[in-house]
Amino acid sequence: MSEQEYYVPHGTYWPIIGSIGVSTLFVGFANQMHGVEWGASVMALGLAITVFMMFGWFGQVVNESTNGMYNKQVDRSFRWGMSWFIFSEVMFFAAFFGALFYARALSVPWLGGADNNIFTPDLWNAFSASWHQMAFLAPGTELQSGTTMSFPAVPEGLTIENATPADVVDPWGLPALNTALLLASGVTLTYAHHALRAGHRNQIIGWLVATIALGVAFLGFQIMEYSHAYADGLKMTTGIYGSTFYMLTGFHGFHVTVGAIMLTVILYRVQKGHFDADNHFGFEGVAWYWHFVDVVWLGLFVFVYWL
Amino acid sequence: MTGVVAVIIIIAILVALGVGLIGMIKGGKSGSDKMFKSLVVRVSLSVLLFILVMFSGYMGWITPNAIMVDAPVISTPEKND
Amino acid sequence: MTTATASHDDHHHGPEKGLMRWVKTTNHKDIGSLYMWFAFIMLLIGGALAMGIRAELLAPGMQLMEPQFFNSLTTMHGLIMVFGAIMPAFVGLGNWLIPMMVGAPDMALPRMNNWSFWILPFAGGILLSTFFMEGGAPAFGWTFYAPLSTTFAPDSTDFFIFAVHLLGFSSIMGAINIIATVLNMRAPEMKLMDMPLFVWTWLITSFLLIGAMPVLAGAVTMMLTDRNFGTAFFDATGGGDPVMFQHIFWFFGHPEVYIMILPAFGVVSHIIPTFARKPLFGYSSMVYATASIAFLSYIVWAHHMFLTGMPVAGELYFMYATMLIAVPTGVKVFNWISTMWRGSMTFEAPMLWAVSFVFLFTIGGFSGLMLGIAPADIQYHDTYFVVAHFHYVLVTGALWSIIAATFYWLPKWTGKMYNEGLAKVHFWWAIISVNVLFFPQHFLGLAGMPRRIPDYSLQFADFNYISSIGGFAFGASFILLTYIIIDCVRNGKPAEARPWPSAKGLEWTLEPKAQYHSFNTPPSRKLIEQESQNS
Repeated sequence: MSEQEYYVPHGTYWPIIGSIGVSTLFVGFANQMHGVEWGASVMALGLAITVFMMFGWFGQVVNESTNGMYNKQVDRSFRWGMSWFIFSEVMFFAAFFGALFYARALSVPWLGGADNNIFTPDLWNAFSASWHQMAFLAPGTELQSGTTMSFPAVPEGLTIENATPADVVDPWGLPALNTALLLASGVTLTYAHHALRAGHRNQIIGWLVATIALGVAFLGFQIMEYSHAYADGLKMTTGIYGSTFYMLTGFHGFHVTVGAIMLTVILYRVQKGHFDADNHFGFEGVAWYWHFVDVVWLGLFVFVYWL
Repeated sequence: MTGVVAVIIIIAILVALGVGLIGMIKGGKSGSDKMFKSLVVRVSLSVLLFILVMFSGYMGWITPNAIMVDAPVISTPEKND
Repeated sequence: MTTATASHDDHHHGPEKGLMRWVKTTNHKDIGSLYMWFAFIMLLIGGALAMGIRAELLAPGMQLMEPQFFNSLTTMHGLIMVFGAIMPAFVGLGNWLIPMMVGAPDMALPRMNNWSFWILPFAGGILLSTFFMEGGAPAFGWTFYAPLSTTFAPDSTDFFIFAVHLLGFSSIMGAINIIATVLNMRAPEMKLMDMPLFVWTWLITSFLLIGAMPVLAGAVTMMLTDRNFGTAFFDATGGGDPVMFQHIFWFFGHPEVYIMILPAFGVVSHIIPTFARKPLFGYSSMVYATASIAFLSYIVWAHHMFLTGMPVAGELYFMYATMLIAVPTGVKVFNWISTMWRGSMTFEAPMLWAVSFVFLFTIGGFSGLMLGIAPADIQYHDTYFVVAHFHYVLVTGALWSIIAATFYWLPKWTGKMYNEGLAKVHFWWAIISVNVLFFPQHFLGLAGMPRRIPDYSLQFADFNYISSIGGFAFGASFILLTYIIIDCVRNGKPAEARPWPSAKGLEWTLEPKAQYHSFNTPPSRKLIEQESQNS
């Protein structure tokens, strides 16, 4: 298609399929959470429809692109679209980082009696404003005000005197390794990018495979990390640190999964010869996404594990 | 101190990532170059940050989540550096 | 920019036939119409809920319903009007008008455009279905503060959360599409400062949407995990904080109110110059004012939270930052007035709505200024004064501009003229009833009547009675509006290509009923200059 023409696609069924898929997924999920027995299967059905829609829709776009139906203007529209989609992702993560910083700088110290919260000792007399476990209390401990703590989580043998954060989340072990893995994947992806720009297809494939492998390894270690943390008593239900920890790392892990799937698709497309040194927006978009996910992890590593 | 440096590096990483995004939007040869270069910068800075944090931890300059460890029970938490 | 000059051969096609046309469509006009009709239906549903609220409040004492159901009505009325009526209506206007105004054939990402509409009926359906669930619909107010929405909420809240997620997807995709359209599909000869103000305001609104909606998604996700997975974001017993919910919500919520008013500013900036027969006064200052309002909207959120026990320094900061917004908004109001100054004004229906917008929105703006004063807000907070304030900005602001835009561009959409006489009757009916409805609520609030309450003390009875009568009359006015629009679509007299002789804008250079794909060849520099507001 020449540069002198506008491209407007024909009608399409994919959006309505997507809407049906996503709303089925959500309705199933909500019912599942309320203990309705068909919830999980409806959820799975919705997920299947959604995945079907994505493969069908994106596949159609890829086909149109390789058939030369797009021009520079369409290409630029995709670039704008992808960029602002990623910006919306940034803002989504910002909400959870905001929650982490708010809890750390304001709500936890205030609960512990910081500033002029003079009522705190009366309301929360057994409260310890510490980060990881939040409250080293036996379940149902009676507070002075008559309320009970609803977030008891005490690992066996751990008391407030001997606990350190490293007991639960030790940045030296798996987290450091995982950071190294993701950073390495950023490096390999950069090499793949370089190879693509230089036109060395075999090298691209090698570096891309390495990137995907590192990403999958990251996910595997992340699952190990979760099981350790759960065994050691850091759960979603153990207060605000556990909440922010699992929310941030969980959504990050989800994005790594999506990124790895997208990289796999790109690998397939590289093998098919869809890209050349000058024309590879699909690769660039996914690469940028991967770098973004990588940076989110760095932020996590620094703020959740260390500072 | 490490914290301040880490935050500065993170901001620099975000700027590099943003420049890469602008390059991606621009497209074409110059945009592609811009994107690639800034992503190289962002990877290098990330490695630097990782080394800095791990080295500081190794030297004992920072303790994991120090901000919340020593908070005394029911009193104003002391300011940690 | 590319020098696009011709449409792809395959695309000299008209609409498909039958119902599937609307499901499959990738055409910005079809999708715009879908958005507008969806918004109108939701407006009528939300309005019906409001009638329920006013009926309960007609007289003191419990009249018609359980308090819980009353709370559901206020909650769902707010949610439906904000997310179901006002926002989709503006996206619909944007869809219809932006490609025509920037000299493009269609939106930049037409298939995604279809999806951003077709999510809405599903989201709206899920939201409305909560009325029929055990425990009733959400009843915690449209701001869904924790812990009302976490610990003490009915089960249907999870469905509400997912509906908000879906609405968020839709808005974000719509915003991405508008940015890509304005920045990439604009006619090659059109510079940014040639763009009509409606395009400018929507471009800036899109940035607000992409910045704010994901934060809302984050907030409801935290709500979801607090409710179902035992996290403690908004629970003080786990080290979280219910006030944190308010911070996150209003970080979304304050940009959100500008999302609902900036496109309205754009609409009014088109209509007033047309009927004052003068160029818009201060085009570039309008653009800069819009951008400043958008920027400021991100840094003032906690003025909704003066009573949560913020440090005094925080209260002062948020108070002064809020006052600052009055400056760019004032620039806009003075520009509209200066545009009318010594103009040859006539008062066709769109102009009536636009002029009354300027007057009534300014009232809403001033009461907002009063609420922004931290010490005074201690008195006004959560009273009917707040209700009066935001209904003056949202009903006589946002909704007014949508109705104005409908009458102004209806000839271009349908190729037919509406009935001017009936439209004037409708206008006077609506403007009198809306003031009878909302103005007494200022007095109720200042006298101390709290909002979201089904029963009240006897001293509030008279004003509530007046307000309810106004409410019923205002509600009935929409029956006439429905008739006027349907009458125009079916029996209207053919309109000219430029039904308002002094109107400027590329859309008026198209056929009387704009062709299916607006511009197959981009307009020339000469034409753009002729039709520019900035001249």
